[in-house]
Amino acid sequence: MPHKHAFKVGLFVIIATFLIVSTIGYLVYKKGMFEKVYTYTLSVKSGENLTTGMPVVFSGFTIGNVEDLELSEEGIVLIKIKIPKRHIKWIRSDSVFALDKPLIGSAKIIVQTKNLNSPELSADNILEIATSSDINEMVKRIHPILDTITKIATNIENITADLSNPQGDVHKILKNTQKLTANFSEKSSLLEMAVSDQDSVVALHAAMKNARGITVQIENTLKKVNAMAVKTDEKLYGDEGLLPLVNNILKDLVVKLQKLDATVGNINTISREAAGSAKDMEALREQIDATIYAIQELVDRLDNLVPFKKEPDMRLP
Amino acid sequence: MKTFVEKIGVAAIDMTGSLKATLLFAIKVVFRMFDRNAYNSAVKMVLVEQIYFTSVQILPLFLTIAVIFGSILVIILMLVVKELGMVQYIGRFMIGFMVYELSPFITVILIALRSSSAINTEIAVMKVNKEIRTLEAFHIDAMNYLFLPRIINGIISVVFLNSLFSIVVLATGLIFSNFIFQMSFDTYTDVLINSIYFSDIIIMYLKCITYGVFITLIPIMFGLNATNELTSIPVSVLNGMVRVFIAIVIIEVLSLILKLI
Repeated sequence: MPHKHAFKVGLFVIIATFLIVSTIGYLVYKKGMFEKVYTYTLSVKSGENLTTGMPVVFSGFTIGNVEDLELSEEGIVLIKIKIPKRHIKWIRSDSVFALDKPLIGSAKIIVQTKNLNSPELSADNILEIATSSDINEMVKRIHPILDTITKIATNIENITADLSNPQGDVHKILKNTQKLTANFSEKSSLLEMAVSDQDSVVALHAAMKNARGITVQIENTLKKVNAMAVKTDEKLYGDEGLLPLVNNILKDLVVKLQKLDATVGNINTISREAAGSAKDMEALREQIDATIYAIQELVDRLDNLVPFKKEPDMRLP
Repeated sequence: MKTFVEKIGVAAIDMTGSLKATLLFAIKVVFRMFDRNAYNSAVKMVLVEQIYFTSVQILPLFLTIAVIFGSILVIILMLVVKELGMVQYIGRFMIGFMVYELSPFITVILIALRSSSAINTEIAVMKVNKEIRTLEAFHIDAMNYLFLPRIINGIISVVFLNSLFSIVVLATGLIFSNFIFQMSFDTYTDVLINSIYFSDIIIMYLKCITYGVFITLIPIMFGLNATNELTSIPVSVLNGMVRVFIAIVIIEVLSLILKLI
């Protein structure tokens, strides 16, 4: 007899089974469970922070994991990593492997490949992996700070030791301060405390009184000098003073110089023109000379052609 | 002082005896599970009925709880992960915490609250009404007819409902990862797949099967412990449910230890 709930239960079982099987199937497919896996061997001096199953990361993506860890006869840790066939293109002969140990989170092996066209890495090659540790980096950075703190602590220690030492500098300063205040309380004035001599204080008072008289005399002298300066000002800067007169003379001189400047300009022009005329005169003279020479030549030719003159008598002795 | 020590001794002996009886009963049930003769039409009918009441009838409520509870937890988890700057570990958190741990726990708690108490009460009532003796009188094996379908139902229900809860949580995770981290579907699935290990899945399903066995087996045992008085029924249910919760905690701890090995 088919049960009244059989259909619903069957549907539930079928759907749930389908979902589970399809999810697991998808996982199997995506994880490449039936894919060919390549194994490479890496080496490192210490197996610290290394675990089986640790991811092998390329450009932030997990491309494989650590399959096994072994200790070789030479005491070197051998790491066997599994890389599926689809990720083998990232592992080349020039690939560099580094163990990354972040401050937070688990360690991982990082792969960096300079040239993806390089030949494939041979499974027989054993590459050494570098180690980068956030903690070690932090320790390196903290070292100088710790040195500084140590120095500060040493200084503080010295200061406290000095404080506790009765013969120390601080105690000396305190003693001196005590003496100073005691001395100050005994003296009638600050001056007496400074010079520690009553006569000197009296002499200093007398000197100060004299200085006051000298000051009065200097004041009178300065008043006289001031009055003289006023008079000098009037003579120099007054309406009929020296400076306005000099000013007028200079103004007149400027006007005259301007006129003289125009005259000098004319003279220059005339001299330039005269120089030009001299050049013309030279040319004219050259032409006259040439004409005279031409006439002379003509006369000579005429003499040759027309013997107007009698031949000179030849008188022999 | 002597009386106090004696009391502790008696409690320890009782506890050990109870544990031993439970494990023996569980072994007996498991062996019977693989006996083909145990499954007749009546047993199959009871099994269908049990699956219906435990898994199918609860499904709308279960899915609603999965969506609401799963969404809230996923949002909280993602915001915490974002605040801590550990986005690269979101896959491990989602799979390791939400799927492997929380999902089976919530599923088994829901089933225990609803079905374990019902089974305990049902068996106790049958014991009080002498129905079990009647079945024996008719040469009907109570183990086959009453216990086996309920225990198999427990296994099927926990495994299937846990899978549904996990799928719902991962689906809500996809939506919220897109909102919170602007993560695409491909990135999200890649992150999850890289965080899933089949050994963990096997441990999770083994845990679910163990949950399924013990959240039905313990109520059956405590139901059978009821006397002929009606007042023994609530006592039996109370004790049975307490033991169910202890069993859940012990199984959870054992699964964590197994995962660490």
